[in-house]
Amino acid sequence: MNANLRRNWLLQGIASVGDCGLFFVAVLGALPKSLRYWRETCRQVWFVGAMSLVIVMTCGLFIGMVLALQLYYTLSIFGGTSALGTVIALSLFRELGPVVTALLVAGRAGTAVTAEIGLMRATDQLDAMGMMAVDPLAYVASPRFLAGVIAMPLLACVFNAMGIFGGHLVGVTWLGLDNGTFWGNMTSTVSLQRDILDGLYKSMVFGGVVSLIAVFQGYTAPPTSEGVAYSTTRTVVFSSIVILAFDFVMTAFLT
Amino acid sequence: MNAVLANQKASSDALVQVRGLRTRLGAKTIFDGLDLDVARGSITAIMGPSGTGKTTLLRHLTGQLRPDAGSVIVDGEEVTQLSRRALFGLRERIGFLFQNSALLTDFSVFENVAFPLRQHARLPEELLRDIVLTKLQAVGLRGAAQLMPAELSGGMARRVALARAIVFDPMLILYDEPFVGLDPIALNQVLRLIKTLNKTLGITSILVAHELAAIRQVAGRVYLIANGKLVAQGAPDELAHQDSPWTRQFFGGEADGPVPFHYPAPDYATELGFAERAP
Repeated sequence: MNANLRRNWLLQGIASVGDCGLFFVAVLGALPKSLRYWRETCRQVWFVGAMSLVIVMTCGLFIGMVLALQLYYTLSIFGGTSALGTVIALSLFRELGPVVTALLVAGRAGTAVTAEIGLMRATDQLDAMGMMAVDPLAYVASPRFLAGVIAMPLLACVFNAMGIFGGHLVGVTWLGLDNGTFWGNMTSTVSLQRDILDGLYKSMVFGGVVSLIAVFQGYTAPPTSEGVAYSTTRTVVFSSIVILAFDFVMTAFLT
Repeated sequence: MNAVLANQKASSDALVQVRGLRTRLGAKTIFDGLDLDVARGSITAIMGPSGTGKTTLLRHLTGQLRPDAGSVIVDGEEVTQLSRRALFGLRERIGFLFQNSALLTDFSVFENVAFPLRQHARLPEELLRDIVLTKLQAVGLRGAAQLMPAELSGGMARRVALARAIVFDPMLILYDEPFVGLDPIALNQVLRLIKTLNKTLGITSILVAHELAAIRQVAGRVYLIANGKLVAQGAPDELAHQDSPWTRQFFGGEADGPVPFHYPAPDYATELGFAERAP
């Protein structure tokens, strides 16, 4: 019985990954049509991007500050505190910026997108659009997917900037590192292509992954309060796992 | 050649033709060989016990749901075979009033009614505004144009959904429970609107409803569906007096008859434990 149950869970898991893959293809197929609804895409970029600014900026600032404290301590053991700016920038651009921003967006905007689409499904709004000959994939799903891909790298940039500002605040203003050393070492070491752009590529992929999972979970949410609640939770859980797994794979390929 | 001509004639008389419709949802058989025709320019009511698949039938007519077998022809097009693009083309000519209104909650009443026009017709803003306000006036809600769906009562939301369904002056309007939640004044106006649309624009209407008194006022023909089949049909008054066990039970509202009132359950006394306690 248990073995059967486990096998069913496994099969269901594999089937839902397959469904999500097919859904991804359908969303991509609806992208050209969704360009007609560019206003809707702009609204979603505003919702995913601008509305997430406060949480992304606050977290970026604190993470930068903590990084400066921790790295200052570690670097001081080797007498290399002058590299503080460089190490903070590299950690943020290459890793923390894209990953933490994606986790934050999954929690803030991903859940909202899932709940919104789940409720649209439950109240027949998606069917009503279909009946008015408006493809809900093009009007609802694709703009939200596209918004994630556009907004995530922008948010990651803001996160990185705030992180470096926080690191500067602690390293230079508080711990007394030389301002010129902090910026000079950073700008001479950090590469636009290898560090900054690679981080942004990651961010774009994470944006696509988070918004795809959020839209898919909303689209397939059972039309009940419990169904929408579970789907919202699944968005955060699956997004977090997939972000970290993709991060490993992409880091392995990009470095 | 004769067969083609005969087919063309049939399709010009009947806007909707359903033949041998079979549908199963999960373990439940919804339709088991359903046949019905809806004449062009008519008002037809579909009645039947709850859970008998009336809404499912409307979903078949619009291709939202594909049947397991059978044919559904609407305006000469076989809905079950249509591509997505062709289906959307057909749907532009069909208005659908959802049971729970299904208004888009992000948009105001005005924008909800304007939505189909904005998507499919490039109209100057002034003309669009005039059309939307005319439709809202017809359902008595011109003054509510700027309200959001959350601010409407159930009956008002239904009237807005009705205005949205008729905004394109479609050839066919499907009403799923249009009278639920309407007060007598609104009910009368909606009935008058359905009749006016039918008479002046020749719009064919299919109503799924339980309100016999209202149906008698508008519908020319009633189909009674039960157990996945058509069990009776005719003019409303004719049907109410027809001597069949189905119509007697349905129009008489009796608990006993071919339609069981109780969902299948074990014996009542046994479940309450009386059978064991009895001497």
